[in-house]
Amino acid sequence: MSSAAARRNSLRSRIWRHRHFYLFISPFFVLFGIFGLYPLLFSFYLSFTRWDGLTELTWAGLGNFANLIHDEVFFTSLWNTFAIGVLYVPPMFIGAFIFAIILNTTWLKFRAFFRAALFMPVVTPMVVVAIVFILLYGQEAGLINYLAARMGLQPIPWLVSEQWSKPAIALLLVWRWTGYNMVLMLAGLQGISHEYYEAARIEGAGAFQRMWHITLPLMRPIFIFCSIMSLIGTVYMFDEVFVLTQGGPGTSSTNFGLYLFNVSFVDFKFGYASCMAYTVAFFVFITSLFILRLRRSELT
Amino acid sequence: MVAREERYYRRRRKAGRLLTHLLMICLAAAFIFPFYWLLISAFKAKEQIFTLPPQFLPHPWLLRNFVKVFHETNIVRAFYNSTVIAAGHCTLSVFLCSLAGYAFAKFPNAPGRNKLFAFVLATMMIPGAVTLIPVFVVLCKVHAINTYWAMILPGAAGAFGIFWMRQYILDSVHNDLIDSARIDGCGEFGIYWRIVVPIVKPALAALGILSLIGIWNNLMWAFIVLRTDDMLTLPLVIYLLNGELRTPYETIMAASLIATLPLVVAFLLFQRQFIQGITAGAIKG
Repeated sequence: MSSAAARRNSLRSRIWRHRHFYLFISPFFVLFGIFGLYPLLFSFYLSFTRWDGLTELTWAGLGNFANLIHDEVFFTSLWNTFAIGVLYVPPMFIGAFIFAIILNTTWLKFRAFFRAALFMPVVTPMVVVAIVFILLYGQEAGLINYLAARMGLQPIPWLVSEQWSKPAIALLLVWRWTGYNMVLMLAGLQGISHEYYEAARIEGAGAFQRMWHITLPLMRPIFIFCSIMSLIGTVYMFDEVFVLTQGGPGTSSTNFGLYLFNVSFVDFKFGYASCMAYTVAFFVFITSLFILRLRRSELT
Repeated sequence: MVAREERYYRRRRKAGRLLTHLLMICLAAAFIFPFYWLLISAFKAKEQIFTLPPQFLPHPWLLRNFVKVFHETNIVRAFYNSTVIAAGHCTLSVFLCSLAGYAFAKFPNAPGRNKLFAFVLATMMIPGAVTLIPVFVVLCKVHAINTYWAMILPGAAGAFGIFWMRQYILDSVHNDLIDSARIDGCGEFGIYWRIVVPIVKPALAALGILSLIGIWNNLMWAFIVLRTDDMLTLPLVIYLLNGELRTPYETIMAASLIATLPLVVAFLLFQRQFIQGITAGAIKG
């Protein structure tokens, strides 16, 4: 009894002695409580309700989830998200990796210039990027179609046809994000010790073998980081689609991020939107865990 | 014989390197081209933006578009709003993250420290899409919609920033320094302010830049929480111009140039800090 009291007492005094620790971390917890934890719980609750933010909130049970399964636009948006991802992520990844390797060589000149040129799109407002691309993609007077015509090709209906709206977004995304991934991969390459390569060279390993047995395995954490960032970025992408195509023509380029925004802040279906966000976040979470697993299982 | 072979290889390698340089130059040109197009379009007359064949230089260079932007939109006010929001958000974020990062790095014996830190890390998993609506509702409840606070506060104390600052402080601030300051009678906040902050300045700059890129270019959240003309940010002004009838592309290009230049120029001047801010997460995380 007395020892328990003493322990409690000592815990209390230890906490008091470290009061500055708690004081210094408290702003995070206050802000997280207001803008993180409470929203997380509230959103979960909203998933089971119907609410437009103004009128009375009504309980919907699993109604939102039932609607979700029959929501064609929802599945179209998931398919579009997937298709855009398949169109832009592989070229972006391969390009970023090749450029990172080139920039990592000692003999390349103007290295800072090349890195800056590839990275500049990352610091540019997305709305500006999208509008410049609208000009470049123009059906008649756009520069890309002008060049295509000069080469004897048919003009491409970038933003006005259902087939081309997704590639148009994908091309913009490649331009926008290659530099970002390149910079990450370059940092990863620079972190690999030269000793590995020298040892491999002494053993007589060729360039291909060095790449396969040293570079790729050691770059795995970076690849995984880039993959997860791309996954999250693609699913929740908004600005690009919002400005470039508004999801059209039809729903041909409506991705999940845009559809979620529309349901939330155009239709004001807060309950249904929360249900949708939670469902997709759950699958994104599972996929992320799966990607992270790759890291562990292959290393051990 | 051997010398000849070696010469052949050397020549081949030289050719390969030359080719690589050429390739990289073409690539860099392709990446810079949209910026070039933005720049020249901002100085073109409206008809010139759409003439065929496309004009690669304005003829003549016009300042008319900029005059129009200043007359027809509230861009000065928007620039001011963007600046206030960015300054507020970045300062707050750098301050709170470094303060918490310092606490997590240098108070090893505080009860519950590890659990609290694990909790902070776990919050990184929460996607913004899930919390979007409730955060909006909270801001409505406290009448913060259409104020700077709606842009500045949410996301000001990010788990990633704390994680990274903790790592940096662990690596670069020696315990001896903190102990001797404490013996000299320096208060705990004084230690943070006078000893830790000066040492970790490079990390503060990189973290500040990281949040600057996000907040300066933010469109969606600004679109949701900023409502009146006098509260618009630069991306919003451009977005709204784009939505007008008979889209005034010449005005948009001028406004876009104004919105783009600050960060691009800052990036060209402080490349190293920008790159550090971007790579920090991937390498240590």
